[in-house]
This record gives sequence, C-alpha cells and structure tokens, in this order.
Amino acid sequence: MDYKLVPSVCSYCGTGCGLLYRVVNGKITGTWPMKSHPVNQGKLCIKGWNMHQFINSDIRLKFPLIKLNGHFKRATWDKAIGYAAKKFQEVVQRYGPESIGVLVSAKVSNEENYLAQKLARAALGTNNVDHCARL
Amino acid sequence: MQKRVRKWLEEEVVDVFVAYIEQKGHILPHVFSPDSLEECALLHPGLQRYPLEEIALELAEEDPELRIGILARECTKRSLNVLSTWNQLDQGQLIPMEVSCCPSLLQEHARCSYLNPDQPGELKTLYGLDPNACTQEVEALEQEELYSHWTYEFSKCIKCYGCRDICPLCFCRECSLEHTDLVHTGEMLTEVPIFHLVRAVHMAGRCIDCGLCEEACPVNIPLRLLYRKVNEIIVKTFDYYTGTDMETAPLNILGQEIACQANPL
Repeated sequence: MDYKLVPSVCSYCGTGCGLLYRVVNGKITGTWPMKSHPVNQGKLCIKGWNMHQFINSDIRLKFPLIKLNGHFKRATWDKAIGYAAKKFQEVVQRYGPESIGVLVSAKVSNEENYLAQKLARAALGTNNVDHCARL
Repeated sequence: MQKRVRKWLEEEVVDVFVAYIEQKGHILPHVFSPDSLEECALLHPGLQRYPLEEIALELAEEDPELRIGILARECTKRSLNVLSTWNQLDQGQLIPMEVSCCPSLLQEHARCSYLNPDQPGELKTLYGLDPNACTQEVEALEQEELYSHWTYEFSKCIKCYGCRDICPLCFCRECSLEHTDLVHTGEMLTEVPIFHLVRAVHMAGRCIDCGLCEEACPVNIPLRLLYRKVNEIIVKTFDYYTGTDMETAPLNILGQEIACQANPL
C-alpha cells in the first residue's frame, strides 16, 4: 500500500495557505492544514478544508467540451481552442474588440493571469480585464 | 528513536510506522516503510502535532492485517484507547512507540505544540475568555458575564468545521453538524450557541483534551476549555476519565442498553 502526505498550496484564493493532502494509493482522501506553513500556521477556512472534494468530484471537467445543438460533446484541445478562436473572431469583426471582457482568476497562478491579460490586450485587443477578487 | 524505528521496520515488528519527518524545513507527518529505510534518519519527534491516529485509521481500513507502529504522545495514547473502546480500531494492530512530551531540562524542548499557548490580548481579556484558564476560574464569573463572554467567542466562528475535521475522535460517518435539523449548512453566520454546543455534547466522554481543535481554530475560540467542562460533567456523573484506560465510555453503554430493552409500554 502506498500512503503519502503531500504538501501543497490551496488554490481557492490568492492567500496561498499551506495544505497537506493525504494520498492513499494515488487517490486524495483528505486535506490537513500545514502547521509549519508561515501563511496559515495550521489554520484553514472551510474551502481549504475540503480541497480534496473537488479534486475527486464526479462533475469535474476533465476534458474540453463543445456545445452543439444544446448538448455538450467531447472534443480535442485543438478543436475546442480552434472553435473558441473562430467565435471570438466573429464577435470582434461584428462588434469590435471592446465587446469582449476577460475575467482572470485567483485559482490560477500569477503567470497564467499574466498570460490571460496578454491574450486580452495583444490578441483580442481589449482593455477589459478584471480579476475575480474584485467582484 | 530513529534507530529504534529502523530496527522495528528491519525486524518486521511493524509493517509501517507513522511519525513525523523533517522535509525541506517542515516537520510533516509521514508513513515510514521498510522499502525506504534511509528515511528513518530524517524521523523527527515533531514539535507540530497532527492527528496521526487518523492516518493509522485509514491504513487499517485499507489493510486490516497491517501492523502499524505509531509515534505516541500522551494524547495519542488516550485517543487510541478511546478509538478502540468505540470499536474504531483494533488495539492489537497498533504498536505505539511512546515519546515523552513533558517539559524538562534534559530535553531540548517540550515536544508539544501546546506548551507555549498564546496569551490573550486586551480585547479578548475584555470580551472573551482566556483559553489557558481552568474551568473553575471561568465559572467564578457572574452568570450574565459568562454568557456574554461565551457568546462573544462563539460569534467569531467562521464555520470552517476545522475543529471537527482535525479531531482524531470525530470518526462518525454522519455528522450532527451537517444535520439540517440542528445546523443550517452553507449558511453564515453561525447559529450561536447551538453549533458549538452540539459539538460539545458529542465530545462528552470522547474528548481526550489534546487541544488540536483549538490549534486549528482560525478565530481562537477556547474550545479546549469548553470540552474540558463537558468532560468534567462526565467525571462527576460517571466517574469516567476519558481515554485513561480501556473502560467503555458511559454514553456508549447507555445507548446500547436502552436500544436492547423492550419498550415498557
């Protein structure tokens, strides 16, 4: 049997609390706060305490889906991104780039947030960029 | 201790050993196994405490034949006693290695995170309760004052359920704190005082006074003090000292006997 305790960082918000995942045979079974972590010092909020639940959730999105005729269909990444790009181009051509807004997230890394605003400003041509922490 | 654990694993006294490891400057719980004996050199008695019993429970659930060695402080031993009296764990499966956690000049430091508790600040002294106080000190307060101080403490709760989640004795599959008749889940603010009193009632004859709940509380509610009071009632009523021996908890016996008797009507 394989039992591991894996240190990690909570991905729910920008605070960055230290977590310990209990991993039994490759499956995460529980979350503990990391007591020696300088940020949270052994304390967590309810979201942090339940981090293992969304990882194992049945309704978690694991691959790209495209909605066709009201139904979601599994697609490859290339196809899904291509489809999204085509739709964005259509919107930009018809209504202008200012019609698009990009909302970035505390659940992704700083670098990913940077890339998202780069996509918005350089590729889409809009300054409408905001962050979920400001909502 | 590192050598003893290595020896236990080498001589197959135990199949796995649950303790702490020093890793990248952190002391983290770890399951030592004979496959990686070199890790034993990094074993640490740990200043931080985690509910190691929960790891042991999960291991035992996966493999009932597994012999599990466990680093056992005084509080760990008490909780192992309680877990086995409540039929959650087979004592024979567990081999505790005792670690002295008492403060002494012969030890570099007392091996417990609880021995240097936070001192209450000005606001907490004025409106709340000193978590280091004993129950008699608290009860010496006037009724009204006592009520307002406990209400102040309870109303800080952010309902993180951390006290329940860290508790080594909270083993129930269904939790009263998620029962919609008692507690409204997903709603803030916390119902004062029902949320904390529901948990307090369930801690009677179960709480082994390890203080992990209080350590995990983000808003410093003096939970240990509350559960100490509950256990005091158990001592007074049933002469039962939770976790000190293998005696069955009085509340456990009562439940079974009433369930077994025919209804007199």
